[in-house]
Formats: sequence, structure tokens, C-alpha cells
Amino acid sequence: MSLLRTGLLALIAAAVTTPVAVMSQTGQPAPSKQASQSLVEYDDQVQRSATNNVDFTGEWAPRFHEDEPERVPGPELGDYLGIPVSDAARLRASAWEASIQTLPEWQCRPHSADYIWRGPSPIRIWKEVDPVSRQVTAWHAEWLRSVDRAIYMDGRPHPSANAPHTWAGFSTGEWDGDVLTIKTTHLKEGYVRRNGLPRSDVATMTEHWMLHNDVLTVATIVNDPVYLTEPFIRTTDYELDLHQWVPPYPCQVVEEVDRPRGVVPHTLPGKNTAVEDFAKRCGLPVEATRGGAETMYPDFREKIGHIISKCIAAQR
Amino acid sequence: MNARVSPLIAVAASLALASASVVAQRGGRAAQPPANPRAIAPSDFSGYWVSVVTEDWRWRMVTPAKGDYDSVPLNGAGRSAADTWDPARDEAAGEACRSYDAPAIMRVPGRIHITWENDTTLRVETEAGTQTRLFPFAGSTAGQSATQPTRQPSWQGQSVASWELSGRGGGMFGGPPPRPSGALKVVTTHIRPGYLRKNGVPFSAGTVLTEYYNVLGPEDNGDIWLVVTTIVQDPQYLNGRFFTSSHFKKLRDGPSWHPTPCRAS
Repeated sequence: MSLLRTGLLALIAAAVTTPVAVMSQTGQPAPSKQASQSLVEYDDQVQRSATNNVDFTGEWAPRFHEDEPERVPGPELGDYLGIPVSDAARLRASAWEASIQTLPEWQCRPHSADYIWRGPSPIRIWKEVDPVSRQVTAWHAEWLRSVDRAIYMDGRPHPSANAPHTWAGFSTGEWDGDVLTIKTTHLKEGYVRRNGLPRSDVATMTEHWMLHNDVLTVATIVNDPVYLTEPFIRTTDYELDLHQWVPPYPCQVVEEVDRPRGVVPHTLPGKNTAVEDFAKRCGLPVEATRGGAETMYPDFREKIGHIISKCIAAQR
Repeated sequence: MNARVSPLIAVAASLALASASVVAQRGGRAAQPPANPRAIAPSDFSGYWVSVVTEDWRWRMVTPAKGDYDSVPLNGAGRSAADTWDPARDEAAGEACRSYDAPAIMRVPGRIHITWENDTTLRVETEAGTQTRLFPFAGSTAGQSATQPTRQPSWQGQSVASWELSGRGGGMFGGPPPRPSGALKVVTTHIRPGYLRKNGVPFSAGTVLTEYYNVLGPEDNGDIWLVVTTIVQDPQYLNGRFFTSSHFKKLRDGPSWHPTPCRAS
């Protein structure tokens, strides 16, 4: 009896250790699928390859330590500093009137996917997981005053150019090391700054999401053949905040201004002298405040000379 | 009794052996020999880069007005110190480089040149202020030396670099070992007190600077970007961590390198 029991247990032990023996003979690590056949293991490599060991899930608080006056209270009229705008963008921006926001069509208009990163809003990121394979099929990002934005990770192609354009656009992502790189197309017309600088509906955006412990840095690069002359890059930082909640934003359209039907607030081209007020107030050259690719580069300082700004606490 | 126990012990030992091997197959706990930081670099940081100033333009491309510390989470002591900014005094005291120090230098517009000084140290030179930063890797002789408390504070401080690791060997059974993920992490201390901005926004001697360097691209048009996420911690003058991220474009056509001296205003 004792011998029989000893033999039985030895057989069980041999069965359990067989994969080890196979591995030691080949000298190569066993494929992960083989390891996952065990009853006491699961193959977490599937999940790891889908998320690349990086998980952006959580509530992220914006840190307005860059361009706070522009991003929270809002930019000043005529401030295009450091933005590679085209002449067409300047012309259109000079016709812009802030009161356009009072139009019913504009009151509840969400920020587009490219601008919202710089907007005054927290963000919630979550992952959509296939219930069977447990693979991450999409990331979702939701802000205040914006729409749910899906970033598809399942390899689907972008739709036809004739497909509808939306505020969120159509986004697909793939991993580049630990950086999530996202391509977005099919954006509705929007803006690159909330002072009338337009962004066309043929623009595309590349994003790079970088996670460093509890800090999320997102680089957005917008290409717009209509209103930009060079790619427009911005990098924005968020801090993980487990106590944050992105509240609902049930926007309701109301009659804000009693104006005749069909009137759209605007200024005729060349008639808007207010766009130079910012330059005067801050003691900056008007040509600098009109933006353009040249103003993005350090050598532009040689052109404008040494200047001490007069801007101070303008919007506190 | 012994005849009954022995086989059980044998099975337990076999199971333990099998379990350990499975972990080893995944590489979960196996000790790794020290690696040469340059040899395992996950990205190529070397080359000439130019800052592209699409953010904070009015604080970076021109000298901000005294008292203009918008966006910086300064506390009361920080605001009081900033309000005493006197560039003439700094110039006279030989402290014109106060706004070119480690917490600020990556925000100062200009070109930078990154090279490997040796297999364990990255070197960053800046046009602006003609500054040099050295990033010795943790574990190297220089890296260990950089953390010595006897070091004198300097504008660029003492930095220790490491490759940011992806994964922590997590999961139910461990998972793969952490690996360099593409980001360079640099922690800098022993920094001579200076300015976060040219207009005297202060940081103190106790400041700890943490930076993450990511190389991105190439984009569809061939652009390669360097993004530097900067986190400044200064309990004396800041209410919380101060975050900025600066971007640089890689120069492909050869540099036009024009080092300039520090200036106080």
C-alpha cells in the first residue's frame, strides 16, 4: 500500500514537472500560451500586450501651470503669440466677435478633441475591455463640456473621408514603446484658441500620451493645411486625482441676446482695431502678437529685440 | 511514518521547483546583471534640438514684468520674494544666471545639444546662458558622487539619471521584469537658489527637480520631438508641485549654434 501510494505521488510529481524538463532541454523559455494551460495560471500576457503595461485609467486634474490666463479665464483678442497661423486664419480671426458665443448654435457647442486638452476641464479616462478576451479594445476620455471620445485599439481603419465629422473626430491608437500614439481625423471645424483662431475640418491630429507615475503628459500635434503653416504642437500636464469627479454638464440653450433673426456677430475684415489692444497693453510688437511660424522659434527674439513686457495681472 | 511523509515532501518540493521555474520562464524574479545605460538606451536622445515656443510665450520669449507670476503656484512667501526682483542687483552680484538654472533652463528658448559624455553620463548643453548639465546614471561612480551631501550647490545642481521602467513585475504571478520604457528620468538636487522665471519668481535651496524626457516620432512629416516634463517641488515657495512640459524639435540640417551669456533681465 505504502509503495503503491509512493509510486502514485511520484507520477503526479513527474506530470507536474514535465514542462520544466522540456524547457531545460531546449534552453528556451516556454511560450506563454503553454504556461497558461495550467489550471492555476492565467495568461496575463494577453492583457499586458493590450495595455502595454500602461494604464491611463483614472481621474486626472489639469494643472494650469502653463498659459493659465489663456486657458481658464480665456485668451485676449488678438493674442496669436507662438501659433503657426496662416494669413487665412488671421483674416478670419480678425472678423471674430466674442458675442458669437451667445448664439443658440454656439452656446452648447463642445470643445473639439484637439482643443479640449487645453480647456478648463478635468478628465476621466477609462478603458473598454472585451468581456471574453479581456483585451483593451478602446480608451475613452471624457471632459467637462465635451463629449465622450473613443480611441479604438482594435486595429479598425479610419472611415471614408466622406463620413460624418464630429467634435471628437475618429481616433485610433497604437503603442510606441510605453507611449500611446493616437491619430485623429474627421474633426468638425473648431478652433486652436478661444479667441477666434480657426481650425478647419480637414485638419488631423496626432497625440502622444505619456504616463510618468501619477503625472500624465499629452503632446498634441495638429496639422491643418488651411489655417496652419506648420504643425502646431502643445504639451499639457495632468495629475492623478483620486478624489475628483467630472460632473455632468447638461447645457441648455436659452435666448441670451435679443437680436434680429439671422444676425451673426462679426467684424468686417480690416475693421477690427481691437485686435491690436493686446500688443499695446503688453508692450509687445504687433507683428509678434499676430503669430505665425516664425514666432515659435527662439531666433525670433533677435528680430524683436530685448523687450520687457508690461503685461501683469490682466485677468486676475 | 517516514515512508508516508517522504513522498509528500517530494511532491511539495517538485511543485515548488516547478513554480519557481515558471516564474523564471517569465523572467519575473531572475536577477539581471548591471547594464550599461548607453547600451540599453531605449531612445536616441543625442543630437541638436530647438525649443518650439507655442506655450507661455509672453513669459519665455520676452522678459516678463515684475510681479507677473501667473500660472505658477506660488505661496505668499514666494510672491513676496518675487516682488523684490531687482535685475540690476543680480547683475552686479554676479548672479545673472539665476534664471538659467536647472528648474528653468529647459523653458528658456534656444537650442540644446545632447551627447553621451561616456557610457554612463548624458551631457546637455544649452545655447541660452551657455549652461552644461550632466546626467550620470544611478549606480555609476559619478551618479553615486552626485548624491553626496557635501556637494556645493550650483546652477545646474547634481543630477542622477535612470531609465524609467515599464511594469513592476505585477500580476498574480509576477509577470515580466521591468524594462526601460523609453523615458529618461532625471532627479536633480543641490541647486543654487534662483528663479523659475526671468522676472524673479523664486525657488529655494531645498528644491527637488524631477524631469522625464521622451523622444516622440518620427511624425508623418519626419519631425522628431523631445518632450521634457518638469516637476518642481519647493516647500518654501510653492503651494504644490509645479508642472511644465517643454517640447523641442530635432534639427536635421545641422545646427546653427549660437551660445549666449546669461543676462539678468
